[in-house]
Amino acid sequence: MEGSVPPEPWWCTMRVLIQLRPSPDVVAAVADPDVTATTADVADGLPGVVLDPSFTPVAVPRPVPAAGGDPLSLNQSLTFSLSADDASVMVRGEISDDELSTRVTLLPTLRNDVVGVFADPVIESNLTCGGDAPVGDWHDVERLLHVAELHAEGLDGSGVALAVLDTGINAAHVARHLGRDLLLDKERSWNPDGVTGRPGEFEVNHGTMCAFDTLIAAPRATLIDIPVLLSQRPGGSALDGLLSDAVAAFAHLRTVLEAQPAETRSLVISNSWGSFSPRWDFPVGHPGNYSDNPAHPFNLIVASLEQAGADVLFAAGNCGRDCRDGRCAYPDRPIAGANSHPGVLSIGGVDTGGQRVGYSSQGPGRLALRKPDICSYTHFSGSKAFGAGEPDSGTSAACPVAAGLVAAIRTRWPVSALSPAQLRTLLRRTADDRSDIGFDYDYGYGVTDTPGVLASLRRRAMRVA
Amino acid sequence: MRLVTVRLHSQATLAQAMRRLGLTEEEVDSGYGLVLIDPGQGLYGLRVAEEAARRIDPAAGGGPYSDPRIEPFGPPD
Repeated sequence: MEGSVPPEPWWCTMRVLIQLRPSPDVVAAVADPDVTATTADVADGLPGVVLDPSFTPVAVPRPVPAAGGDPLSLNQSLTFSLSADDASVMVRGEISDDELSTRVTLLPTLRNDVVGVFADPVIESNLTCGGDAPVGDWHDVERLLHVAELHAEGLDGSGVALAVLDTGINAAHVARHLGRDLLLDKERSWNPDGVTGRPGEFEVNHGTMCAFDTLIAAPRATLIDIPVLLSQRPGGSALDGLLSDAVAAFAHLRTVLEAQPAETRSLVISNSWGSFSPRWDFPVGHPGNYSDNPAHPFNLIVASLEQAGADVLFAAGNCGRDCRDGRCAYPDRPIAGANSHPGVLSIGGVDTGGQRVGYSSQGPGRLALRKPDICSYTHFSGSKAFGAGEPDSGTSAACPVAAGLVAAIRTRWPVSALSPAQLRTLLRRTADDRSDIGFDYDYGYGVTDTPGVLASLRRRAMRVA
Repeated sequence: MRLVTVRLHSQATLAQAMRRLGLTEEEVDSGYGLVLIDPGQGLYGLRVAEEAARRIDPAAGGGPYSDPRIEPFGPPD
């Protein structure tokens, strides 16, 4: 049932390559370019392995040392033999994560034709990285988000409050580069103690980029400016803040949410920030720890606000293995703290070609394993907040792009009709799966897919009617 | 300064939190104030001096909790 929230499966699979030494006639068939052998011909059922029938088995030549050479060393002159008696065959499959080590150990003992089991990591060419030129512009993002279709259904963010927790918004810059006015609610905006700027009048910086990106899908949303990263408290610097300021900001946003009539309540909260380093945290296991501790006050207030009806989105972070940000200091599992909270949408980044940007952080998350949840668009020419040729980049841009889509949906689907948990499920379930295996730690459930969302909402509306 | 928590009734004040935790004005970040974390549990947060946080009776309050720096995720360096 669409409205229910199914429990998340706790398992994942690992893609593997399995090297086999079947009978010589099978090896000969695989090695023969005129014969098409299938996976079933080579390995019909390996215990605990889901074989990929779409993968054509590949013959692997055997390295043969010169006479008298070391049979175990590759550091010598070698020839390679594809003869049926020498060669082996490679097939592809998946093994459940929870059985991985057992299966990898047992397979060669259960089946004497199994030579070895190897990882089959995702390989991608030319991933977009920090410092690269923009890939497309914000009009491409509009097209990819099917903004015209959203607006045709009245989903443009009208009446929806969208809080941007960041470095503050420069509304004039956003309006100039969008080519249209924006709605900013100064009354409901809020500054941390000691921050003196006025809503919508902050210097052009990261927060201005985020505000611009929310308005791509939801141009009529009402922005709430929360410059939480301008904290002047001891321990902070010019463009960072302290988590305690985010606690206070979320407490303010609860008053915003609870002041709304229950039947039309909606509040989207976009957070393109996080903690880069465990250096500022208590160690994992300490009761005061933040990164891995759902009982930390900030993780509690996130849960509390989500339960009250807020849609909370966090950027997954820029610590992807392929080209991580230089500030990343977690040795592994960089999606930490609230960025990995089970009650939020953790947003990874893809470029306008639909390919994961190399810096987008990979899961598993620290509070919930299945992170990121979904991906949205980044690294495009948009707000020009960092200069004319500079892209809106980082998962910092992907998060507000996704927040804009959520705000657009909320135009006609308030929390009374679609809870935050139901909306998260809807976005995950309709996402365009980029890996062909369902959830994965690079793309999550996939890239947001507006036509899928709209089709699902239409079905839901008919059921409700 | 450290982040600590205290359980109080609804509409609680900073003064009430200070009394419950045995804190003086000099030990509390009054600009930060008393922040409602979870109304369902009557859970509030406040920032106090490190020495005072260590002194708090666990039966009266929770913490100290880490208060890490938070930074924007972009542009990537």
